Amino acid sequence: MKRLTVFLGLLLLADPAFAVDRWNVGIIAPTSGALSTVGTRQLSVVQWWAQDINAKGGIRGRQINLIHCNDEASPEKSVTCVRDLIGRGVVLLLNASITGPILAAMPLLQNGPVMVTPSPNVVPPANSYVFQTSPSDLELTKAIAAYAQANGVNHIAMVASTDASGEVGVTSAAAVFPKEGIVYKLARIDLRASDASIQLANVVSDGASLIYSNYSGGGAATVVKSYSNFGFEHPLLVSYANISDSFLRLVKDDMPKRLLAVGLKAAAPELVTDAADRAHLDYFTNSYLAWKNEPVDHLSILGLTMADFATAVLEHVDDPANPAAVRKYVESNPIASVATLHFSAQSHVGLSASDVVVLEYNKGHWEKAGPPK
Amino acid sequence: MSPLSQAIVSGMISGTIYVLLATGLIIAFQTTRIVNLAHGETYSIAGLVTAAVAHAGLPVALAITVGIASAVVYSVAIERALLRPRANWPVSSLILISLAAAFLSRGVLLVVFGPDAASFKRIFAGAPFRVAGGIIPQQGFWLVIIGLAAALVTAQLLTRTRIGKQLRATAENADAAQLLGVNVDAARMISFALAGLLGGLSAVLLVPLISVDYQAGLGMTLRGFIAASLAGMSPFGAIFGGLALGLAEALVTTYFGALAQDPIIFIVLIAVALWQSRHVQFGGSVRA
Repeated sequence: MKRLTVFLGLLLLADPAFAVDRWNVGIIAPTSGALSTVGTRQLSVVQWWAQDINAKGGIRGRQINLIHCNDEASPEKSVTCVRDLIGRGVVLLLNASITGPILAAMPLLQNGPVMVTPSPNVVPPANSYVFQTSPSDLELTKAIAAYAQANGVNHIAMVASTDASGEVGVTSAAAVFPKEGIVYKLARIDLRASDASIQLANVVSDGASLIYSNYSGGGAATVVKSYSNFGFEHPLLVSYANISDSFLRLVKDDMPKRLLAVGLKAAAPELVTDAADRAHLDYFTNSYLAWKNEPVDHLSILGLTMADFATAVLEHVDDPANPAAVRKYVESNPIASVATLHFSAQSHVGLSASDVVVLEYNKGHWEKAGPPK
Repeated sequence: MSPLSQAIVSGMISGTIYVLLATGLIIAFQTTRIVNLAHGETYSIAGLVTAAVAHAGLPVALAITVGIASAVVYSVAIERALLRPRANWPVSSLILISLAAAFLSRGVLLVVFGPDAASFKRIFAGAPFRVAGGIIPQQGFWLVIIGLAAALVTAQLLTRTRIGKQLRATAENADAAQLLGVNVDAARMISFALAGLLGGLSAVLLVPLISVDYQAGLGMTLRGFIAASLAGMSPFGAIFGGLALGLAEALVTTYFGALAQDPIIFIVLIAVALWQSRHVQFGGSVRA
């Protein structure tokens, strides 16, 4: 019996998840299934972060032990992932999935651990252990409204998908645009649609001067390609998740005359004015390129905000496994990233409309967008 | 701009793709009695292979040839390696095997091509045609012409030619067909090759207008199957079934919104299935 106990003890110690000298950090990222691009890219960034930290000796003497779970962007599998990772003793959960699966995971975290996600469609309750490192979709919509107002645009055509993310976009548009005096016409598009010309014909026919597609991945390419068939002069504004090389590769043969996107200022590094934030972004950009041989895009930057959150918590909270202590620290201390994350007891969303800008793709890179006309 | 005209244009484009997919499913069904649930993978494979070859800098014509050839090889491999050795198994088991093949193919495509969607340059570029307030890109116009022509030729082949009759005879009674001199194995291989050709053709015509990723196949199988069901698994009926499905989707989206599309289409599908099975009783016996 004694031998068996010793053997089992050794087995437990051999499992990295139970090693006492490591920080067990869970990452949920869909690496297959719908929208696996989102998960794959953010997972790569978090893996880069772990090896970068470990190469420098870890945090407070402990190495990062990253434990990945692929939720396939499925709410059911997301719940299984959370249960599994909690069972494996993670002190923090990073969630690089999409809206539905993240929302499905949240009820399981009433007693911790703390979970962080960059999904703009998730607005965690302020009394929860969930934090969000992006601006919310509402803030992104406010940034679009500010751009429209600053440029005299009072009529927007909008195409939104029929999934959970599209629903959030529709709610944000209804909350922001009318209040700002902007008329908008909306058409929904099915995720499996092989053409978006019906939607574009419906929303553009009465004279909008800006077209906003709140859609990501392959579906967003369908909108861009259908848009190019019409030969519109209006700028096409695409959503947060489309500021990526993979998306640009997809639409390069059907590029609109002007392609805009709403995103973090860090997507155009020259817009990052804080010297420390810029240095951090430059270090990440160069180091990640050298490590992965893949250029940084907006999704990578979102992954970095999660990693920066984790670094701050592991560096400054005595017991990161204590969710109340983590929440208290995060709510009362700004966190340095590509822009400073500010959480409070009233809001668990780290960035706001002021961290967002409407960008334009021009000659191979993203820059601040000029007027639409 | 006329929403009705645009709906008709859009419906014709998607409908033609459904026609090609349905015809591919029907041709395999007509020779084996198996609904090949891996058929949509021919679309994904052809689309991804074509995009990869085109991105490698080779001419689009060569990329398309390689893409379609890969779909044909895949389809024949399904028949030769998975279905033929189990020809005496129950049909339901073989359908499940084809479903397993579809999932396996998705995994392989993910590993080989990665999770990102892909696309390639249009074959037919140039200014779109403007018809009655609707806009049809040249690629879309030729997609409809080529797609419907291919489906018509296939339907003619199946129903009006000697080889077509031989293909169908293998499904009705393989043993009897063999006794009459039909090479059953060759007939089934030809039918799966044709199905792969149609699946590959649908990809090279449609993908330049949208994109394709490793998991597009099952969705395409489902749409082709709905069109084939509407057509009562008849090759000529597939032309009407596919176009009706495409136009119905487009018109529902235009006048009721995209959220209404699935509920309405599936209600219609259930109604059609009930109507088609009105003579069928328990166990499939015919009503007195």
